[in-house]
Amino acid sequence: MPELKLKHGDVAMLEGQLSLEVKGGEVLISGGLHGKGSKVVIPRAKSVPLEVEEDALVTYTLGQDGKVEQLSERTIPREWDALISEIIQRRPKVILVMGNVDVGKSFFTTYLANTMLRHGLRAGAIDSDVGQSDIGPPTTMGLGIFERPVALLYEVPLSSAYFVGSMSPSEHMLEFVVGVKWLVEHGLKKADMAIVNTPGWIFGGPGRSLQLYTLETVDPDIVVALQREEELEHLLSSVPPARVRRLPVSAKVRSRSSAERASLRAMFLGKYFEDAGKLLLDLQKARLKRCYLHTGRPVDVGTLGAQAQVLHAEQMPEGVLVVTKRKMDENAIRELEARFGHVRTITQGSERNVIVGLTNDANELLGIGIIERIDYERGQMAVLTPVKNAGEVAAVQFGSMRIKPDGEEIGTVKQGTF
Amino acid sequence: MTLEQSEYQRLVEIIIELSERYRGDPNAREAILSELRTLYKKIPIYPGIITMLLPKVVQPIEMDKLKEGEETVLVLKDGRMVSGKVAEISPTEIKLAECKQLDISRPAEKVSVRRGDVQEAKLVTRVVLEKEWPTLNFEEE
Repeated sequence: MPELKLKHGDVAMLEGQLSLEVKGGEVLISGGLHGKGSKVVIPRAKSVPLEVEEDALVTYTLGQDGKVEQLSERTIPREWDALISEIIQRRPKVILVMGNVDVGKSFFTTYLANTMLRHGLRAGAIDSDVGQSDIGPPTTMGLGIFERPVALLYEVPLSSAYFVGSMSPSEHMLEFVVGVKWLVEHGLKKADMAIVNTPGWIFGGPGRSLQLYTLETVDPDIVVALQREEELEHLLSSVPPARVRRLPVSAKVRSRSSAERASLRAMFLGKYFEDAGKLLLDLQKARLKRCYLHTGRPVDVGTLGAQAQVLHAEQMPEGVLVVTKRKMDENAIRELEARFGHVRTITQGSERNVIVGLTNDANELLGIGIIERIDYERGQMAVLTPVKNAGEVAAVQFGSMRIKPDGEEIGTVKQGTF
Repeated sequence: MTLEQSEYQRLVEIIIELSERYRGDPNAREAILSELRTLYKKIPIYPGIITMLLPKVVQPIEMDKLKEGEETVLVLKDGRMVSGKVAEISPTEIKLAECKQLDISRPAEKVSVRRGDVQEAKLVTRVVLEKEWPTLNFEEE
């Protein structure tokens, strides 16, 4: 096994796949202190800096694409350390990290939280990048509390999560903003400070809205703007200048293609569902949320005519919702329109593979699931999920993606239907 | 001047823009609408991506760069519109398969149509906002 003798101040870049053990001395990996006996694993397509705190001996094993590269200088900009010193001194409660895609927001969050830990402060990291979620499975935002140093953000154990229901905040702005606020509040109950890692959607009306309303809701004490040039200035103009800290991007930040992102998402989701089993939910007990189903007054399907083959119907303020065995024909829809006004139709089976969030009574996410089927007549829903106890599930939140248990994304869902 | 909170506005604008760009080209319009239908069915939650992709459906191309198997819309000098898949291409000729041919309608002052020639009639309402929702029919500045 190769070994490396390192002197205080030495710097190296660890590129996965790689496993490393500290045999002696002390090293900082992503700002977290690792002493003798500490083991670190870096997966493929990830890289982290190692800085030697005290003369050290490390051994390592390289896997596919793995590399240990000794560098002549630090990759962490000096400005980062100056800001972190200020944070240690001032102890702000909420820090929001903003930046375009691939500027190293997750790494900065990890580096900051690890450094806080070395100074006796416990940070809660909120990962709001729903597509590339490091804390919690994709389609959710997660809160992780730094109890020990980690090399990568995804190693932080999940403390609480909020289900957004999609791989992107696009068309899920409300869930996003509510979720960030919810997680910040939970984070502050469990940690000394909350660090919000925001998604890289910063341009255009919706991107601006997402960032600005998050800022208004979260009201951070410090906004860390990680920018290559001036790409965040249009957003920072809305923030009181005294709260803004502009930081340069760390060298060696690696960008990922959309295919690489999709493959990482599939890998995380597949892993999440590895131990999943079928959970049968009684829809009279579990509330359905973020959907039209079970929000109206039941309609006797016998009164709707045999032509429609209706399994379930309910009258809502907006019209009628009907679930049918097969796709309804135009004539049947027109008949219902004449009687009820607007008709919203769901075909049995269209719920298959839709991703859902399962929450308890306190609105805490127990886990995510994939709908296998809904038995509308019996009022039951079969969900594939790692959540084991159906009795704990108080509510089902509907998402707008279709996922296979191996993590493959197989479609999106028009909101308002399945 | 508030911010757009979804891509809806830009999507409608791009549909109008493309519809105007291909005003006299029903084949191009049909291809765009057909792709719009497919995109909306597949990714209804990503209107921003639909907006980005829609202008790529029909794009101008030099005839020399067309390859066999590609779908094309050709506007002929005599006003005819031909669309189809390129079956064969030579320096003097492009042969299309699975093709449709349309004669472009020419503006006319008056047209007489024999009732017996009409298969179907449709009513067109041009000022639908004024008729159906008059309180929103604001004066244009």
